[in-house]
Amino acid sequence: MAGPTAADVRSILSLPSPSTPGLSQPRKPPGTTERARKPEGISRELYSLIGTSAPTLAAQLAKPRLKQKPNLGGGGRVKWEWRSFKNGARADSLRLSHWMKAGTDSEAEYQFAKYNVQSNVYVYSQDEYVRLLSDKEWTKEETDYLFELAREYDGRFYVVADRYEYGNGPPRTIEDIKDRYYSVCRKLVRNRPWAGDEASKAQLISSFQFDKDRELTRKKYVASLENRTPSQIAEEEALFIELKRLEQHERRFKKDREELLRTLAGIECGLPDVQAEEETFVGTQTETKKTKKKGVANNEPETPTSATASGTNVVLAQPVPRKQTAKSAAHDALHCIHRTEIPQTSTTTTKAAHQPVYLRSYKLPTPKSSAAPKIAQVMGELGVSHTRLVMPTRENCAQLESLLEAAAALVETKKQVDRIEHETMVTQERLGNRTSEGAENDMDVDEEGGDAEAVGEDGRGQSVVSTRSVRSNRPRKKSARSMSISSVDTTATGGLKRKRF
Amino acid sequence: MVNYGGDEVSALVIDIGTSSLRAGYAGDDTPKAVIPTCYGFKSESIDEGDVSMAEPGEEGGANAKPEKKVKLYIGQSGPSVWRDGMQVAHPVQNSLITDFTPIPQLISHALTDVMRCNAAEHPVLVTEPAWNTVENRERMAEIMFEEFQVPAFYIANTGVLNAFAAGKGSALVIDVGHTTASVTPVVDGFVLRKGLSHSALPMLVQAHAKHLLTSPYHNRAGIQLLPHQLIANKQVPPALLHPVPPRFTLRDERVPGTTETWRAWYEAKETEEWIQSVAGVIDQGWNEQAAAQRGVRHYEFPTGYNFYFGAERLQVGEQYFTHSPQLVASNPNLPKTIPALISSALSACDPDLRQVLLGNIVLTGGGSLLSGFADRLSVELQRNVNHVYSPIFFPDNAIFSLLEISASLGTFHQLWISKEEWQEHGKAIVGQRCK
Repeated sequence: MAGPTAADVRSILSLPSPSTPGLSQPRKPPGTTERARKPEGISRELYSLIGTSAPTLAAQLAKPRLKQKPNLGGGGRVKWEWRSFKNGARADSLRLSHWMKAGTDSEAEYQFAKYNVQSNVYVYSQDEYVRLLSDKEWTKEETDYLFELAREYDGRFYVVADRYEYGNGPPRTIEDIKDRYYSVCRKLVRNRPWAGDEASKAQLISSFQFDKDRELTRKKYVASLENRTPSQIAEEEALFIELKRLEQHERRFKKDREELLRTLAGIECGLPDVQAEEETFVGTQTETKKTKKKGVANNEPETPTSATASGTNVVLAQPVPRKQTAKSAAHDALHCIHRTEIPQTSTTTTKAAHQPVYLRSYKLPTPKSSAAPKIAQVMGELGVSHTRLVMPTRENCAQLESLLEAAAALVETKKQVDRIEHETMVTQERLGNRTSEGAENDMDVDEEGGDAEAVGEDGRGQSVVSTRSVRSNRPRKKSARSMSISSVDTTATGGLKRKRF
Repeated sequence: MVNYGGDEVSALVIDIGTSSLRAGYAGDDTPKAVIPTCYGFKSESIDEGDVSMAEPGEEGGANAKPEKKVKLYIGQSGPSVWRDGMQVAHPVQNSLITDFTPIPQLISHALTDVMRCNAAEHPVLVTEPAWNTVENRERMAEIMFEEFQVPAFYIANTGVLNAFAAGKGSALVIDVGHTTASVTPVVDGFVLRKGLSHSALPMLVQAHAKHLLTSPYHNRAGIQLLPHQLIANKQVPPALLHPVPPRFTLRDERVPGTTETWRAWYEAKETEEWIQSVAGVIDQGWNEQAAAQRGVRHYEFPTGYNFYFGAERLQVGEQYFTHSPQLVASNPNLPKTIPALISSALSACDPDLRQVLLGNIVLTGGGSLLSGFADRLSVELQRNVNHVYSPIFFPDNAIFSLLEISASLGTFHQLWISKEEWQEHGKAIVGQRCK
């Protein structure tokens, strides 16, 4: 269905028809009312750049919501007065003075009085003490003293233990003090009538829990930690690092194993802690499709819907070869897109086989290892670096590839030529020997052997350059071997020229 | 101040130390009045009456005290002015006030003559060392209430105040003062008295420095520590690496009237100045080569004698951290070194607290300003203490610092002991309120 044309829209909005139809239609003659209608909050320069083409942006810019300037005392001077005040946290009638803004209520509650928080320390009656709290280690007086200190220092037991000096009582450690204090609190909470529910009571009791033996053991442990020698600390650290390393190893091994299991048995195998990573998940699905086509696996094809749902992912992760329609081909040509087909080397889609995005220059063929140095030498003589291209465009890559192929062919041919040449030489020599003398056969054979060896050695010692020059000047034998590189160049380029298109 | 929740009530702070008395307004960052704690005095029996009548007019800082027939010379021009037959006394020893007689005069000199304010109009905060006695603080409260008629009073611990000034509730405060070095563990704003350790180490350092100066050393002869008040004229030789004997003339008319205490006071002062301007400590521990590399420093004495002090100046600071074996052998009652003080303070604390304290080390006091002291201390801590510790914190403005902040905190104003409470409860309230 054809949508409304631009002319339709214009007629609906009763806009004047453009003077020049085409892509650049919003261009208006300057100096018209357009400039006058510049929206608020957009600078003139910006508006003349973007014109009316960004109305949404202009709408957002229309009202810059600036923070309101603080009104500091209404612009006028503020009168401060030196006034006395009463601190509500004090029991006496001391009146200190401070500066106050004129007009504020001087008898208002002192603002810092609210920080005077009283700690609520339990108090017990004589009756309660006799009934519940008697302890053969502690007298009533000492317990009173302890609770007095706890109230005075707001339950800071480090300070309480530091200031604890009870007449002729036994010396108390901080654990003794805490133990006694918390046990008294627990007993009081447990035995007093409780207004709230049981849960809050249990919670309160558990907040007064104190295990003296455990605390002592912990203290002992802390002390022993502090008394470690530097060498012990170093050893401990080394062990810790080793442990971390081992753990990491194990984790990696486990991950690999899972990966393997998933590849072999699929996601349905129900491994406990398989993380369904999106990428591998999709890969598995495309794989199942493919294997099904080949009839190897018998997995149920329940995947297509999900695969198409995450279709973009599939293309990104694993470009499925597909036919280019005429439209897409034209689109590609317009935008200089070249589609390449990834060779599907294996049917398994593990992470290792996955083909990530790569640079074109990475995929240049490397020559066979046996011929590599010779090819490199040829390329060097040509003045072309085969490892790195300055401008690895598609054409250049193709050119380089063909050049490398040609060079490889050249080297191969040269090898063949050498062999043939050597063979003919040997045969000719043998023939000559036959024709001249038939009697000294044994000696000749020996000589031949020696000669052949010599030639072989010679050939091995030769450079690529010289052998190639031999090929181009076949009739002359040994003398031609010292030819200059320039001649080689001509031959080599000649050979190349043939291959170029 | 807003960040601290401050509420200014224009309280006064009086910090009485062994060498100086500092007074100022709460919330300021430096004291307004700094006067020496020691004072000069002359017994009236020696003086004629008319002389004592004439002198207060001439000397601004002088304050007569007629009832005891002793004339006191207080303030910046107190002991430092030469007077015939004037003795010098130290009312504060080992950070504790041992003689309360001149204290009211000292305070009134600082408040009235220097700061020009009336103590009866301001609440007053006084500082005390952690080892202050109950009698001392009660006496101090009595002086403030009865003699100065202050509306409110509080006595606070220097260790706690230093920790607060560094912004910490719990800290290990290392205070190196004029005569006492102390290590005070402070937890949640309370001093742990069992962990408190202090020694008269700075006095040993000063004695060592004085001995170093007055006795021959390598190529120089012993130095005469003569006060400039006794020198009529001098010729300053050019500063050279090899010492030249000084050429000066004494004021012979003054020499007979000079008292022993005044001379001792001056020598201590000169030594102290020499330490402050020349001495230092090597940050990695004593090492001849390192000491030689640190270069020389020039110092000129009142006699005109001047010299470039080399390695010897670095031996002075070493006394804070190590005692030489021969010294230990000859004197079993040596004051504890700083590392020893720290370890004894820590070992008396709960193991759980040690990490907290070592993570918050606050270094303060005039002695800690010795060049290289803080670096050396952190090296010592790393070496000797088997803990992780963080860098040392310094309260701003080393000695007085922000002590005063606490007296200007809004939440502090409920702690003041008011005159009403003083009259009602008497001395007991001091111990009750100032924990």
